[in-house]
Amino acid sequence: MPQDIRLRVVGVSKRFPGVWALRHVSFDVLAGEVHGLVGENGAGKSTLMGIASGALAPDEGVVSVNGVDVSADPDLVRARGLAIVRQEPALMPDLSVAENIFLGVGAERRPRPSEMNLWAQRLLGEWDPDTNIDAAERVDLMNAQQRFIIEIVKALAGDPTVLVLDEPTEHLMSDDVGRLFDRIRALTRRGVGVVYISHRIREVRSIADRVTVLREGQSQGTHDIASLTEKDIVALIVGKAVNHEFPEKQPPQSGGRDRLEVRGLSGEGFSEVSLSVRPGEILGLAGMDGQGKREFVAGLVGLTAGRGQIVLDGTAIRPGSSSHTAAAGLQYLSGSRHRDGMFAELSVRENFSYRTLRNIARAGVIRREAETAAAEAAVRSFDVKTPGVEAPIGALSGGNQQKVLIAGILAADPRVVIVDEPTQGVDIGARVFIYQAIVEAARRGISFIVVSSDAGELAGLCHRVAVFSRGHIVGELAGAEVSESAIISAVLTSGSDRRRQGGTESLGHRVLKWFAGNWAPLATVATIILALGLYAGISNEFYLTSRSIGGMLALVAALAMVACGQQALMLIGGIDLSVGPLMGLTTVVMSFFFVKDMPLEMQLAGWVALFGVAIAVGLLNWALVDPLGMHPMMATLATFMVLQSVSLVLRPTPAGMIDFEFLDAVNTRWAFLPVAALLALAVALALDAALFRSGLGIKLRGFGSRADAARVAGINPRLMRLLAYVGCSVLAVAAGVMMIGQVGVGDAMSGNDYTLASIAAAVVGGASLFGGRGSFLGAFLGALLITQINVVTTFLSLTDGWRSVLLGVMIVTAVAAYSRARKMVVAA
Amino acid sequence: MIIRSRPPAVGEFGWIWIALVLLVGVSALVAPSAIGLASVYSMLPFASVLVLLAIGQTLVVQQRGLDMSVAAIVTIAGLLVAKFSVLTGSPMVGVVLTCAVCGAAGILNGLLVARIGISPIVATLATGALYFGVARILSGGSAMPIPPSLQALAQARLLGAPVLFYVAAVLVVVVSLVLRSTVVGRRFIAVGSNIAAARAQGTRTAAYQIGSYAVAGVCYAIAGIALAGFIGYATPTAGSSYLLPSIAAVVVGGTPFTGGKGSVVATAGAAMFMTLLDQLVLSLGASPAMQLLAQAVAIIIAVSIRRLPNPAKLLGRHRRLA
Repeated sequence: MPQDIRLRVVGVSKRFPGVWALRHVSFDVLAGEVHGLVGENGAGKSTLMGIASGALAPDEGVVSVNGVDVSADPDLVRARGLAIVRQEPALMPDLSVAENIFLGVGAERRPRPSEMNLWAQRLLGEWDPDTNIDAAERVDLMNAQQRFIIEIVKALAGDPTVLVLDEPTEHLMSDDVGRLFDRIRALTRRGVGVVYISHRIREVRSIADRVTVLREGQSQGTHDIASLTEKDIVALIVGKAVNHEFPEKQPPQSGGRDRLEVRGLSGEGFSEVSLSVRPGEILGLAGMDGQGKREFVAGLVGLTAGRGQIVLDGTAIRPGSSSHTAAAGLQYLSGSRHRDGMFAELSVRENFSYRTLRNIARAGVIRREAETAAAEAAVRSFDVKTPGVEAPIGALSGGNQQKVLIAGILAADPRVVIVDEPTQGVDIGARVFIYQAIVEAARRGISFIVVSSDAGELAGLCHRVAVFSRGHIVGELAGAEVSESAIISAVLTSGSDRRRQGGTESLGHRVLKWFAGNWAPLATVATIILALGLYAGISNEFYLTSRSIGGMLALVAALAMVACGQQALMLIGGIDLSVGPLMGLTTVVMSFFFVKDMPLEMQLAGWVALFGVAIAVGLLNWALVDPLGMHPMMATLATFMVLQSVSLVLRPTPAGMIDFEFLDAVNTRWAFLPVAALLALAVALALDAALFRSGLGIKLRGFGSRADAARVAGINPRLMRLLAYVGCSVLAVAAGVMMIGQVGVGDAMSGNDYTLASIAAAVVGGASLFGGRGSFLGAFLGALLITQINVVTTFLSLTDGWRSVLLGVMIVTAVAAYSRARKMVVAA
Repeated sequence: MIIRSRPPAVGEFGWIWIALVLLVGVSALVAPSAIGLASVYSMLPFASVLVLLAIGQTLVVQQRGLDMSVAAIVTIAGLLVAKFSVLTGSPMVGVVLTCAVCGAAGILNGLLVARIGISPIVATLATGALYFGVARILSGGSAMPIPPSLQALAQARLLGAPVLFYVAAVLVVVVSLVLRSTVVGRRFIAVGSNIAAARAQGTRTAAYQIGSYAVAGVCYAIAGIALAGFIGYATPTAGSSYLLPSIAAVVVGGTPFTGGKGSVVATAGAAMFMTLLDQLVLSLGASPAMQLLAQAVAIIIAVSIRRLPNPAKLLGRHRRLA
């Protein structure tokens, strides 16, 4: 019966350049069953889940959830009740735990924002009554296991009918694994279909009812778990076909001393690791992701800090410096080519020769013919398929990219080569070629350390394999022991319990955490404002009078308003340079409508015109940035010039005296306080309330915090950008109206200083140009502080110069403190 | 194997020369006076100053940065050279000291960005305020005279063209050659292109990032000295109007904000283009307001035209092999 099938995958194929990731895969997940999905890395599990979640479109085939075809539509997938727990949680780091769970469930399940924290804390309590996760804390303060639990709780909160768990025990400690299994059983009793993806066969056997095995993108059939032994499953995963792709192993040179010796190296994610490699030896590093093999390699090659001894051919290398390590002859090739393996936009030639620049240069000048000749020779001998050595390497297929990079490393005459995932994203032909190149180079005496999650690859290539678990080497296979099944079983049986991290927090960490928080900038800036005011008051008795404070606040209103606009854009990682000229344009427009003796209907038309200008400028900026894809700096710079030019055409010189009654209205005071400043404060507070307490505000912050995770939560990026750009322009026009109180005429240039001042105010108030951070009250206080510095310096008889110096030093100090704290607290 | 036969493409840095030729052609037709000898002579010194600034800005943009302190450093350079020349009694020593101080200002920018991790816009915005403040304090708010020997040098002509033009041209050629054909230049481009990959291959990336701001600082210093020397005195606001044009020249020249590849030659072409565009708009009798509009349109066209599918590239895509 179709309604009993929760998830149906029919004939799904997906091809990436050079490889079939999936070929005609079909399986059904029934209501009330746990369906195991097993296979090696690269077998196609993650591609399959990408397709099932709608994030990827299949080349062929259909995915349906509860009987509805949902292919390539993530929103429909969610609406039909499929939830995914990702191995790398899709959480927005600058949002609180509660806000992440809030955005993670469908709109109809969301509580009122004011009840969000209680609601989320209750959900976390349902997972574990003694949970150490505080729903009100930001996610960037959570460690890996806490994040994973949040991801699970988020998925469960949506009350899914199909739940997909991707390597769920990777980040969990044993008590949480128990909880997860209990929860899975409770769900299946209610008719939920669960897909359980894992490397760990034992676990799958204990929880799954049926299992589908994937190998090299093809299904090896769906089986009742009871009908298979552990051995049967391993056989299905590995396949019976003998691998012919590996060249015969050459025994490493015997005798002599070690090429590389590592003694007691410790660092982030690994500790007390010791190993050695002989000349011509290929050493494999195995282990689950996150168990320390990659962390160790990063420490070994100096990308992260490390303590311990690294000795290369009898000479010690200082840990923690990648330039020293490379200079000593230890060459490293990353497993993620696009992230840190190659220069995608540079040519094949430039990528090939990067490690050998010194050899092909004379007195620091690169000999171009020699370089081209060497690159062409490498392209020929490695059979790289490329339009030429000048083609950007990013345009080549994965296998050809990898060939170029490996050719470049070998040309550098290395002593030890460390390769992470040598054949990731590489087609079969290139794979064989790369294996041959490695074995050939080893025969010439180069030592290799190969990191791979493909046990077959390690077995085929390596003389010895070290297995990592919990940041240590827990086992070593050598000689005849090095086989695929032995490696898989060593990896799977190595303990992978995680110890609970942390305990009580140190005072230092708590202080840091506070500094990294949302409220630290507010408190810091407020304190500086008060201290500065007090000091000025003591130094000059006229400062702390209602007259001078009222005068200062009158200046604050416009800057605070435009800073709020700038803050709105910075929340999504944007910036608007055009706000200053827009304020100028506002005064120009006003100078045509709000002059003396103007009839009321003209004034009304003026307000409509101002509003129209705001919307139009916001739309222009948005259109340049979003559909046209211009960098925000360039786009708003162009708008800056357009607006300036329009203003200058309308008012070549300042002119058009604004009606005094209107000016009086703008400059009205309540007691000694300017109403405009109070209004700006009210606007900032209202915007903050919307930002932190409404669904839309949370979405905006979430989008700024991490765009891809926001997309997963169904947030529309275009809409968010539109909102921010138009919002910013509206606030800038409002700021222009407030500024008219000081300017009094239509002056095209009158707003120009506000562009940089608004950016300064927003960042002093805690905004980050990377998005997701800051508050409107912070922007208001930032504006207040900047204005106060301007005013105070005159009271302290300081010159303009000192005022400017003070401003610069203050911005640097404030921003350095926030960004330092944010970095350190995330690292801790 | 290498598959040859690629049709010649304009490339991202080629467009500016096509545009420049077109602009000269249009000027010759509609407003010959704009490219007449007299107006070229009056235009070249200022165009040269913009080129000098834009070289520095290009280097910073190639490191995925942006230098908002350019206006302040230009200003301070003029004041410093006036002050140092008087203090040391030698304008040449004054020039050297000025370049050193401005280079140090650039290093401070680079340290804030590369070591402290402040985003370039904010860091240089703040240091810009700082340097402007120092400039005000130095000058006491009034203009300072430049020694006559420096003035004479900045206003001199060689083979009919202003000396400043040669200075700018030499610097463009030197920087371009260093970037194109030396080890340091190659690493510089690589760090800008993908800093993580450069680090993984053993490059000391922070040195290149900081270096870009430092060299930029020296470029601004030379520009500031040239400007003050040409006008005859240094003022505390001399550089204020140069921030946006320096960024515009980089953008129009085609150096992307995403870092890595860039072309100071194209930037120099763009600086010339923008100056000539201003001149043309003025000779047509339009108001200065129209200059800004023309610049904005130039920026938008410059960015959009490079997004158009290149016919050569389309062909190449079909030929691409898996």
